[in-house]
Amino acid sequence: MTAKNSNILTKNDLMRVFWRSFTMEWAWNYERQMNMGFCYSLIPALNKIYKTDEERSDAYKRHLEFFNITPWISTFPMGIAIALEEQNAAEKDFDTSTINNIKIALMGPLSGIGDSFFWGTLRVIATGIGTSLALKGNILGPILFLLIFNIPALLARYFGLKWGYELGSSFIDTILHSGLMDRLTYGASVIGLAVVGAMTASMVNLNIPLTLGSGEEAQTVTDLFNGIVPSVLPLLFTFIILYLVKKEVKAHWILLLMVFLGIFGAYTGILG
Amino acid sequence: MSTGMTALLLALVAMLGNAEYLLGTTMLSRPLVMGMLTGLVMGDLKTGIIMGGTLELAFLGTFSIGASIPPEAISGTVLGTAFAISAGESPSVALTLALPIASLVLIVKNLGFIFVFPTFVHKADQYAEEANHRGIDMMNLLSGFFAINLPIGLVVGISYYLGGGKIEGLLNMIPEFVTSGLEIATGLLPAYGFALLLNMMINKRNVVFFLLGFALIAYFGIDVTGVAILSTILAFILTGYSAFNGAEMSPADAAPVVSEETEGGIDYDSEEF
Repeated sequence: MTAKNSNILTKNDLMRVFWRSFTMEWAWNYERQMNMGFCYSLIPALNKIYKTDEERSDAYKRHLEFFNITPWISTFPMGIAIALEEQNAAEKDFDTSTINNIKIALMGPLSGIGDSFFWGTLRVIATGIGTSLALKGNILGPILFLLIFNIPALLARYFGLKWGYELGSSFIDTILHSGLMDRLTYGASVIGLAVVGAMTASMVNLNIPLTLGSGEEAQTVTDLFNGIVPSVLPLLFTFIILYLVKKEVKAHWILLLMVFLGIFGAYTGILG
Repeated sequence: MSTGMTALLLALVAMLGNAEYLLGTTMLSRPLVMGMLTGLVMGDLKTGIIMGGTLELAFLGTFSIGASIPPEAISGTVLGTAFAISAGESPSVALTLALPIASLVLIVKNLGFIFVFPTFVHKADQYAEEANHRGIDMMNLLSGFFAINLPIGLVVGISYYLGGGKIEGLLNMIPEFVTSGLEIATGLLPAYGFALLLNMMINKRNVVFFLLGFALIAYFGIDVTGVAILSTILAFILTGYSAFNGAEMSPADAAPVVSEETEGGIDYDSEEF
């Protein structure tokens, strides 16, 4: 990869991002998942790229938005995001919403690959070898378990950052100079929104097991709604929350509302 | 070693396990590792390793993918193993103690997620507003400690100090609807994150793509990766992809946008569009 004039980060800066990325899941929260870990990891790079408080504040806020990914490959989107931030600093008319759209577009596919490799393959191998030795009381069990899992995980973390950054630098250059930026921004928002829609359908769980009718005719409220549109309850619920967010209802109230709904729903048997 | 000292060391072992998330998600929290370290504290390394292996198999299905929070295997393993070793019992006793303890600590953990984390998240937003990067650093490092790590350490230390019988009594005191209610609430919570994302991204021009992603899952049951691939193809089509136009941009240059779909034959009709 050829260095270009907007590359102001040194290998040292990237190594600081690498070490900071180890904390990716430490501040995992329901509201925005890995947002603090991502922002924290990027801070050394962002501080190098931006010098004024105003620019820095915008960049921090950008990376405190929702993010979630298989942690060991989190550095790949970080590398790309850093390259985009460099470009943003260099070009006056850069559309910063592209940065988050690209992050969100990468989240789903990378997690799909990452989860099946790390959880589905590597961990199964490491656990299989580790447990069979541990059950015999052999101390190599836990030790091999850690080594088999962590050596590939560390390599993925290291090369993820390197490749993400190089890829980000080279392709953003090409895209800017071929006038593709608008289309990339639009395309990224298409993918980003479709992924958020998919996550809404698969990760928000709202079930109303109340039964209507009796005997053969009996069906739950969830079945009734699913008969109209599958998973429509999580969708409606998400839209209600979106409405509250637009009304600028404080986060604490929204979260407390959900806890109240859960406990009240369980007590009365309306939710399950 | 006094009970108090052992309780303190076990608390530290549990906190080290949870610190896996601070240290690169390195699998320190798995029963294989926790069992070994508990055995070391209890002065019976070999039994600890064997119990760790047994519990690893029991907790095999518990790991966090995406937004799911599994039963808390750390406290279950540390306490189950410690009680079993101190009473000279077999690994299966460790197992019967470990599973209910794991569910109890899951409640404690959920309380941390629901009541402690939001404060730190919003404090971080405020620091970002002020361009105070040290503040954000602090929030990232302190939130996990106060919301999850310290509570797990306290539960493990205090439980060991009080003894197995008291813990079972406490477990039986919590009404069923509180436990399942918090579980239901954790199913609702991701909606807030998605609502925040939508608030940032959605407008009249692109709302259909959100509905498309939703419908693909709801009607066809494909997974999120599948939706990402299909919507990538759609994005290419919508932004002027055509296989029959000139090739100003080589496929290799276009490749970084997405991986697989760009292989072979995809060209942008770049400038003249």
